[in-house]
Parts: sequence; C-alpha cells; structure tokens
Amino acid sequence: MEIGLSHYLVLSTILFAIGLIGVMRRKNLLLLFFATEILLNSVNVAFAAISHYHGDLTGQMFAFFVIAIAASEVAVGLGLLIVWYKRTGKIDLDMMTTMRG
Amino acid sequence: MLEQLLLILPMAITVIGAFFLMLLSWNKRFTLKDYNLVAVFFLMLSFIVEFPQLSNTEIIYIFPEVFGTMYIIDNFSTLFDLMFTAGAILTLLINTDYFKSRNYFNGEYFALVLFSVFGMMTLAHSNELVTAFIALEIASLSVYALAGYHKNNRLSTEAMLKYMILGSMTGAFFILGTALIYGAVGSTTLGDIALFIKSASDSESLLVITGGTFILVTILFKIGAVPFHSWVVDVYHGAPFPVTMFMASTFKIALFAIALRLYLVDFAPINVIWSELLQVITVLTLIGGSWLAISQDNLKRMLAGSSIVHSGYMLIAISSIGLGSQEAAPAIMFYLMSYFLSSVGAFGILSFIASRSNKALTFKDFKGFSQRRPYLAAMMAIFMLSLSGFPSTIGFLGKFYIFTSAIESGQILLAGLGILTAFISVYYYFKLIAMMYFYPTDEPQKKFPMDLSGVLIGLMAVLVIWGGIGTGLIPFIPGADGFIDIAKQAVLSLQ
Repeated sequence: MEIGLSHYLVLSTILFAIGLIGVMRRKNLLLLFFATEILLNSVNVAFAAISHYHGDLTGQMFAFFVIAIAASEVAVGLGLLIVWYKRTGKIDLDMMTTMRG
Repeated sequence: MLEQLLLILPMAITVIGAFFLMLLSWNKRFTLKDYNLVAVFFLMLSFIVEFPQLSNTEIIYIFPEVFGTMYIIDNFSTLFDLMFTAGAILTLLINTDYFKSRNYFNGEYFALVLFSVFGMMTLAHSNELVTAFIALEIASLSVYALAGYHKNNRLSTEAMLKYMILGSMTGAFFILGTALIYGAVGSTTLGDIALFIKSASDSESLLVITGGTFILVTILFKIGAVPFHSWVVDVYHGAPFPVTMFMASTFKIALFAIALRLYLVDFAPINVIWSELLQVITVLTLIGGSWLAISQDNLKRMLAGSSIVHSGYMLIAISSIGLGSQEAAPAIMFYLMSYFLSSVGAFGILSFIASRSNKALTFKDFKGFSQRRPYLAAMMAIFMLSLSGFPSTIGFLGKFYIFTSAIESGQILLAGLGILTAFISVYYYFKLIAMMYFYPTDEPQKKFPMDLSGVLIGLMAVLVIWGGIGTGLIPFIPGADGFIDIAKQAVLSLQ
C-alpha cells in the first residue's frame, strides 16, 4: 500500500486528539505540558507532509518555527512548575482551587 | 534599504529596549524608578518615530526580496502600533506607586512588558499566518510570565498556570488551522488565501473554512468570549494590578488588530459563513459576562467580568462586518480606544489605592470614598459612567457607533440585546458610585496626590469627558470625530 498525504493527515489528527484528551483529563502538571507538546508536534507532522505534497519547502520551515515555540512555551511552564513545587510540594492540578471563577 | 530600516525602527527600538533592560537588570545599582524611566523612554522613542508614519497611506512590504509579503506596513498597523505603545507607556507610568509598594518587581518585569509590546506590534504588521502565530506567542508568553510575576503569592502562580495551560492549548488550534489552510491553498499569505477563496468552489474551500474556524477559536479564547471565558476572572484577579491593566486594555487591542485583519482581508469573501456562529457567541458573551460581573464582590473581579461584556459589544460589530456594514470596523477601533481610556483609568485608581493598603478591594472598602478622597472619587465616577455608556462620555459614543453598525447590517435583535446588557451594566457600575457617595465615613479627608499617577489619571478622566462632548465644541481642536476619521482611513488602507 502506498502511504500518501491522507495517511499522514490522519496520523496528525489522531495525535492532536490524543493531545487534546491529555490536556482535558490529566491531573499531573508535567503530563499536561507533555500533552500540549503533543498538540503542537502533531501539527508539525501535518506541516511536513503537506510541504512534501505541494513540493514546496516553506511548510518544513514552519515546522522548525513551531518546534522553537513549543520549546519556549515549555521553558516558561517548567520554570513556573518549579516555583509551584517549591511552594506546595505537589504538582497536582487539584491543588489549584483557591479561586473559583 | 535605509527607508525600509526607518520604517521598522519603531519595532526595533522596542526590542532593543527590552534587551537593554535585561542587561541593565543584572546590575544591582539601579532602582525600580530607573528601570521604569528607561522602559518609558524606549517606548516614547518608538512612539515618536512611528507617529509621522501615520500620514503614509501606501502599503509597503518590508524587505520583499527576503520576507516576500509576510511583513506589511500600512496605515492600519501603524495606528495599532501607536495604540500599543501609548497603552504601555500609560500603564507603566500610572503604576509608578504600585511598583514602589511591592517588593517583587525588578528590572526583568519591564523587559517583559517591552517584549510583549514588540510581539503585539509584529502581530499588527503580520500579513501571513505563521508570522501571526509567532507574534501572538511572543506576546502571550510574555503576558503569561507577567501574570505570574508575584512568585510567592499563591493566587498569582495559580492564575499563571491556568492561563498558560489553556492558552497553549488554544494556541495549538491556531497553528492547526494554519496547517489546514496551508494544505488547501499551498501558501499562508493572507492575499493568496483571499485569492484562492474567490476562485475556489464550495467543496474546495471547505478545508479553508475549517481552518478559519480553528483560528477563530483561538482569537475568541484570548479575548475571553463566553464558551472560552473560564480563565478570565481568575487570571485578572490573580495577576498583579499593572499586569491586569495591561491585559485588559493593550493585549485586547492587539487581538482585535489580528482579528480585523484576518476578517477584512483574508476571509472577506466568506465572512457570512461565520456570522451565525458569531451571533450565538455574542449573545452568550453578553449574557454570561453580565452574570459574572453582577455576582462579584471584589472590584478587580467585577471589572474582569465586565471586560467580557465589552468583548461582547465588539463581537456584535465583528459579525456586522460579515453582513456588510461599512461602519463596523472603525466602530471597533473607536470602541477599543474608549474602553482603553476608561478601563485603564478605573484600574489605575484601584492600583493607586492598592499601593497604599494591602487588602483586597471590595465594594465595601469604597464606602464614603467621596469624603476621604473627593477628587479620586469624582474621577472613578467618570470612568464608571463611561464604562456603562452614559451619555456625554466617550463610552457612550463607542456604544453608539457599535449599535449603529449592528442596525445598519440588520441585526436589530442583537443591537437590542446590547442595549439591554448596557442597562444591566448600570447596576454593577452604579453600585460603586452609590457606595462612594451615599455612605458616611469616619476617616478624615486626604489631600489630592499631586504626583505622576494622580495627574495622569486626572488627564484620562478629562479625555473621557472630552471624547464624549468635545466634538466640535472648540474649533480647530479634534475631538472624538477626529479619531473615527483616522480609523476609517486606516480600515480603507486594508482593502
């Protein structure tokens, strides 16, 4: 069987769905950051595949930009996670109930 | 070459200023006041360099041989840039006292503000979806860090975590939408997408519509429209006052800049598809925001809830654009301006009071405020009147333009609902006025603070009144009419 664009797009959609479910269901903050990484990287798969399909390299270039953004997002997030851990000793989402909006 | 460099100088100055402040904050000799002055100096320089460009009416692409048409300079983006820099300058100067009264601010805080302004400027200038995404993330990441700036405060950290997790999740929707559009069109430049949509059949443009809807979700989340509003009140409450002010005013302006550019250029031929969706979201936002604002006791949370309602008013105008109203886009820009003046003023007074006491500000704390501080109370009353859209203030004119555009495009029911929520908003804004004026107090009267924050807040109160009644009152000095003409011209430069 020939593996074409649609297979890659289906893979990307499945990964995106996994990431989305992860963000919604996970209680551990570290795993939440994993899930947001999966979300962004699933889009990278789509970018690379579409770029190959159109025969133009801009899509692969975009994937690099997205990787950089994902890295900076996690850098900010992990920095905060350490502060939170030092204060409470836990990295659980259920701790965040001081404010209920 | 040199001309092009001159055109991007305002953005360059902002980002150079940010790096300069980061280097400066390494040295322990400088005080917060020095950092504040340096940040304001760079922003002021950027504003002054940018201002003459407003008369420039042609569309210029920066370094077309390198960037293609990614980076655009037109009247629209210049006007928004000026609003961002002015907003950041006012936010920094009004909060001078607040910075002094809290020990957790340092030099990096000001660097982050400048980085965020740089991201917003790039957002207003981006003519391409991935550039827009990167700019949005630069601005958002700085704002996440700012929201959690009070590291030792539980509320602040919690606010930042909530904002950050939800924000990066919806950010992924933006880039997913971009990928879908790239797949259909083969390019992410706004002009190319508009050309594709014009020539494509219905089934071909389905992918573009799906992608556009995902991008819309991100924008709606960031402005706090109702199904995506769960973070707004908590984040506004947890963040330090200067940051809340910055998010509620300047950051919101930036999001409407990209929303307007996408809606007016990119998806212009298929706007109608989203009109029904937007109408439903507008109704939810107006009602849900009012409910949130009514049920709050803390003033910061009340203003956060009411900021959702104000987003709702601007969403009315966005769906009017899709239904063919010509007045709607300038109306949004005018509303942003009026909301900016009134909300920064109101938050400024709260932060001024918070810098002298440490407790959370509720309605009860304002009992008899008019006897303690008559001038500040009068200004607060002016800002509250303007936020509720009382005639003779700038807020009234803003709402007037929005509702006119809604009626022009035939959305009579939506305009009616908007007017109804404006009446509801009178309840929670006038509650504060009643607290200030109708209750006695034992505390003695205090003098009017003749420092920078006090004078600036006073100036903004004058501007709010001036915008409301100053139109043509004195010849040769432009009133609010002047701004709506500039906005109309800027919107024309897009088409």
